[in-house]
Amino acid sequence: MKKIYLLLFIAGVSLWACSKKNDMTPSNDIKIISLTANFNPVMAYDTTVITVEASGESLQYGWVVNHGKIKGSGNSIKYSACQSCIGHNTITCRVFNDTGEVSDTIMIRVTPYHPGKK
Amino acid sequence: MILLLVQGYVVWAQCCTSGNPFISDAEQPALQSRVLTTSLAYRYSHSGPYYSRDAHFTELPFQEIANSNYTELQIGYGVTNWLTVLSELGYFINKTLETPGIDSYKGYGLGDAALYLKFNAYSNSRLRLSISPTIGVKFPVGMFDQEVDNVQLPISVQPSSGGYRYMANLFISKGLGKIALAGFASYEYSQLIQSDNFYYKYGDQWIGAIYFNYRPWKRVILDLQIRNEYRGKSSRENEEIVESSGYDVLFFTPQVTYAFKHDWYLSAYGDIPIYKYYNGIQMSFGYAVSLRLTKKIDFIAIQARHKANKSSK
Repeated sequence: MKKIYLLLFIAGVSLWACSKKNDMTPSNDIKIISLTANFNPVMAYDTTVITVEASGESLQYGWVVNHGKIKGSGNSIKYSACQSCIGHNTITCRVFNDTGEVSDTIMIRVTPYHPGKK
Repeated sequence: MILLLVQGYVVWAQCCTSGNPFISDAEQPALQSRVLTTSLAYRYSHSGPYYSRDAHFTELPFQEIANSNYTELQIGYGVTNWLTVLSELGYFINKTLETPGIDSYKGYGLGDAALYLKFNAYSNSRLRLSISPTIGVKFPVGMFDQEVDNVQLPISVQPSSGGYRYMANLFISKGLGKIALAGFASYEYSQLIQSDNFYYKYGDQWIGAIYFNYRPWKRVILDLQIRNEYRGKSSRENEEIVESSGYDVLFFTPQVTYAFKHDWYLSAYGDIPIYKYYNGIQMSFGYAVSLRLTKKIDFIAIQARHKANKSSK
């Protein structure tokens, strides 16, 4: 009986660990017009401003990056990355409202840090 | 006696590290049959300066600080005289990364869960020698995509590691008079973390430690540990090696444990790095202080006491 409980515990934890978030439905009422960065490439520990321009009503914005940090929120954020994030990093912007969401990505190249260089 | 309670350290060593700090009770021999241990640990850790190789890196035009308050529940049970099952669950009260006056990121919540099987490969009470190998797996049950205002937090403050980790270790202890010597070796393999927007694999981790255990008084146990932690470089998309990842750190961990009545134990210990080597440029480990409260229940001894009480009546 104890072995059954142990197996159920392991199965339960594994399923919980593998569970995924539900995605929002795509929206035909939202259009991303542009997604741009003011600096690209950007040196490690430096920042670049990324701005999304989109059409639609009561828009909200979500940001995800695979390597690095995002500061701020809304339609314009600052991105920075440390030395271990050197390479091509992908920033995903989600624009959403009650009708659903659309998303787009921008790739930022992060270069090695050099003191005194911009 | 509980030879050695937990010593731990925080993997703040490289950028973008997530998940539980590695607090392991593999530094104990396997439990005897029908012995249950339950413990609650608390740990505060603080980052150190940026390092490049084995020296401070002072050329960054800003200061960055990381700290965390972490708690962990651990339960161990001696299923038989040769098999102990251990489980643990971590929770971050906070995991904070900040550049003073500029920005601050704070994650919190459930970290990872873990399950270990510890074997009593050899135990000789006359020689006071025991050998206990362990295998285990960590499950990423906590959040790995925590957001604030619809913006995902950096990976280094996410409470969960985001992927499964598999480990194996070996613990050997030998009593010598009032002193015990022990050795510990561990290997951890991190599974590739692959999701919609993330592809990353942490480097393999190797740990080697030696312990000196001394009991100056009946209820006081002192432990001194020297531990080397090595982590290989990580890899990301297109099998690209992350050059500023991986490290080799030597720690000194003093620990004092007080044994209360009725098998309660309270430990306090600190992790002090005495040598650090980091590939590329990375934030280094600073220090950590921990407390652990443990309760041990021996069901066989309880049963024997009940029988003795009954027969005496």
